[in-house]
Amino acid sequence: MASRTKNIDQHVGELLSGYIDGELTQQERQRVDVHCEVCAECLELRDELRDMRRDVGDARLSEIGEDKWRETMSDTTVEVTRGIGWLLLIGGFLAVAGIGIYEFLIDPSIGWLEKLLVAVIYGGFVALFISVLRQRLIERKSDKYKDVEI
Amino acid sequence: MQQKLAQLGGGAHALATQILGNADDAADAVQDAFETVLGSPESYDAGKGPLRPWFMRVVRNRCLDMLRRRKPGDDAADLLHDPAPGPEQSLRQEQRSTVIRRAISVLPAGQREIIVLRDYMDLSYAEIADVLAVAPGTVMSRLHRARLALKEALEIDGK
Repeated sequence: MASRTKNIDQHVGELLSGYIDGELTQQERQRVDVHCEVCAECLELRDELRDMRRDVGDARLSEIGEDKWRETMSDTTVEVTRGIGWLLLIGGFLAVAGIGIYEFLIDPSIGWLEKLLVAVIYGGFVALFISVLRQRLIERKSDKYKDVEI
Repeated sequence: MQQKLAQLGGGAHALATQILGNADDAADAVQDAFETVLGSPESYDAGKGPLRPWFMRVVRNRCLDMLRRRKPGDDAADLLHDPAPGPEQSLRQEQRSTVIRRAISVLPAGQREIIVLRDYMDLSYAEIADVLAVAPGTVMSRLHRARLALKEALEIDGK
């Protein structure tokens, strides 16, 4: 009798969750079993938590199905590949342009005035390119219709 | 890997929705996570554990980044949004889903995510500890508190 009273006094609390999840040791499971034999409150709570867990598992918490994710993934792969492609292209272009500029500047057969004029022209091109690129990037960020398919 | 990730999409979206409180933002977070993973697949080391908890951690971190950037006033208004029922789902199931979603939505974010990780996605306690970056010993008590809170929310909703 004293043992039964002790079991009721010490509710098993969080062990009930561990019990329904199968995360308890053999000893802990036995403790819950023994306690629930004499404590109707914990027995009821254990069953309620088990039912609730099943209901949450069966509930539809996301409306996006696997097919949609597969589709998204394909788009993502294309974007990642395209990003890598652009990176390689721009990187290669910058490397070639850098070598060309360096060769041009150290070429002793070209006068300093000619070098300066060519540098001004190319500098203008670069400045225009950066300006247009910057504008495009700003527009792309704030364009709420960019994903609209026509 | 793509096939496996696509299978994880639904669960990841459910988790992200519970953290961000908005299904559209959640979809963005999951897509960002896909981009991150597909952009550097070598970042996943199969020797260190299964893909699912690792990917959930990536999604969760992405959501936390988005929450940090969120302006005050942007709120979780969409949690009660009910998706159109699928033809295969019975009306009773759909009604129960709605009740569950509504009850989960009133819980604090920490409780929402641990319930989704365990009861919806069926992750083990060790995996949950890994995703949430907490000590494995704290998962059971946190989860139990969250379940009691959900039970109470369901009871209030039922009255």
